[in-house]
Amino acid sequence: MTPVFRPLRELAEAVRTRQVSPVTLAETFLARLETLGPRYNAVVTVTRERALIAARRAEAEIAAGRWRGPLHGIPYGAKDLLATSGGVPTTWGAAPLREQRFDYDATVVRRLEEAGAVVVAKLAMVELAGGMGYRQPTASFTGPGVSPWGPDAWSGGSSSGSGSAVSAGLVPFAIGSETWGSILSPAANCGITGLRPTYGRVSRHGAMALCWTLDKLGPLALTADDCGLVLDAIAGPDPHDPTAADRPFAYDDADATGRRFRFGVIRDVAAGAEPAVRAAFERSLEVLRKIGTVEEVTLADLPYEAVTRTILFAEAASAFEDMIESGAIAGLTAPEDHYTAYARDAILAKDYVRALRVRALVVREADRVLSRLDALVAPGRPGVASPLDREFRSAARGNVADVMGAIGNGAGLPAIAVPNGFNEAGLPTSLQFMGRAWEENTVLAAARAWQSITDFHLKHPPVG
Amino acid sequence: MRPGMSPAARDSGEVNLLLELVRHRYGSRLTAEQLEALRESVQAIGALAAAVRAVPLTNADEPLAPFTPFRADE
Repeated sequence: MTPVFRPLRELAEAVRTRQVSPVTLAETFLARLETLGPRYNAVVTVTRERALIAARRAEAEIAAGRWRGPLHGIPYGAKDLLATSGGVPTTWGAAPLREQRFDYDATVVRRLEEAGAVVVAKLAMVELAGGMGYRQPTASFTGPGVSPWGPDAWSGGSSSGSGSAVSAGLVPFAIGSETWGSILSPAANCGITGLRPTYGRVSRHGAMALCWTLDKLGPLALTADDCGLVLDAIAGPDPHDPTAADRPFAYDDADATGRRFRFGVIRDVAAGAEPAVRAAFERSLEVLRKIGTVEEVTLADLPYEAVTRTILFAEAASAFEDMIESGAIAGLTAPEDHYTAYARDAILAKDYVRALRVRALVVREADRVLSRLDALVAPGRPGVASPLDREFRSAARGNVADVMGAIGNGAGLPAIAVPNGFNEAGLPTSLQFMGRAWEENTVLAAARAWQSITDFHLKHPPVG
Repeated sequence: MRPGMSPAARDSGEVNLLLELVRHRYGSRLTAEQLEALRESVQAIGALAAAVRAVPLTNADEPLAPFTPFRADE
């Protein structure tokens, strides 16, 4: 069997039954990363040596009858903001930090290693996860991320390589991070599935901090089921991260056939979307009515986007205060990242605290609406992948409406983006399911149900 | 806010003062074009502040932020 573009369960069964060896898998994906990765500016570092050591260990364990589970021997890529030991650089996508190294592994990397997964690459990302205000794709020292669906189309960000590497079959799954849009955006632009867990579900220890109260880590993969399997391995409390919740998580992969879901749509949620995205969303609602009900919901009049944006700008300015104050941001790639963060000094402490107070109203309002639903649905992104040489519209910057992203990230809610169509140029569109806090299993079940009656997730770009 | 001052005038005055702070702290590193771009960014931040300030809150509305007393032996 060719292991490329296979769902994790198929790969796992092939590994468990020794039809495919972990070393063969690692070699296959290492070769793809090395030969195809540059085409998409997807890779910072191929971790060949570490990967082959881990793959040989997995092979020996499985041969000895010690199969650890569905990720044992499966290669993956980590966004290059996750600390990795052993002399592997962790660059945060930023030229001034291209030689940065850590002597420990991020908790997520450690948990995946315990599950037997094999890290084969550190994947490209927007510099400092986009926290300095970038406005166009050329904002990483590894070059603009390219979507495998179009040579001139942006992969999205900030988890650019995590999106493009999965989409191009360079890794079976990847880990990304989201503060506002950084998992859902590359999932949408690259036509794959991306899960943003509840804030606190996954330890952030060893991950670059952009915004302490907004950052989440999660998987990007080919299917919702793949995302559930990965989340099962990485979720859980961590003494190194006090915000990692002491709540158990076990992926519930029970067959959702016949389950009736209750979906909500925020009034006018797709009004600002591009025509192709809006049309795909309207078609998706018709499909969703086969597996549940769809009702329009209204939200209390609160400044959702202003709250999340204020928190993001203020915390990012503090997280990177040393680089901003020293002027080291002038060494970043995007010209606008050289100075935009200076404006954050204009955020008054009182306004940041007020945003945190209004945030308490936001989380209660979101829960009021979601407590009656299984998920809110909306376009994953308001547009398809933008051209590489143009400024894009960004909710975090405020030139496109994204109430779902503002609420979802401001309130720390889980969401999953799945492909739901293509525009006339063949670029993918996306659908998101956003659930109540800690309801990853519900949004995963809804996304699995969606993927059981559609085939968008089975389409892959012509990579070679 | 000074008596008789309109919200727009207050906001404009605040933007100018805050931009002056930015200029004072970082002006030596910035070109005229960058300073003009920062004016727009500070105006946008002013709009964010106006939006969150417009939400009525009471003394009982606490910030949603975690704080935990700490003991190293626990």
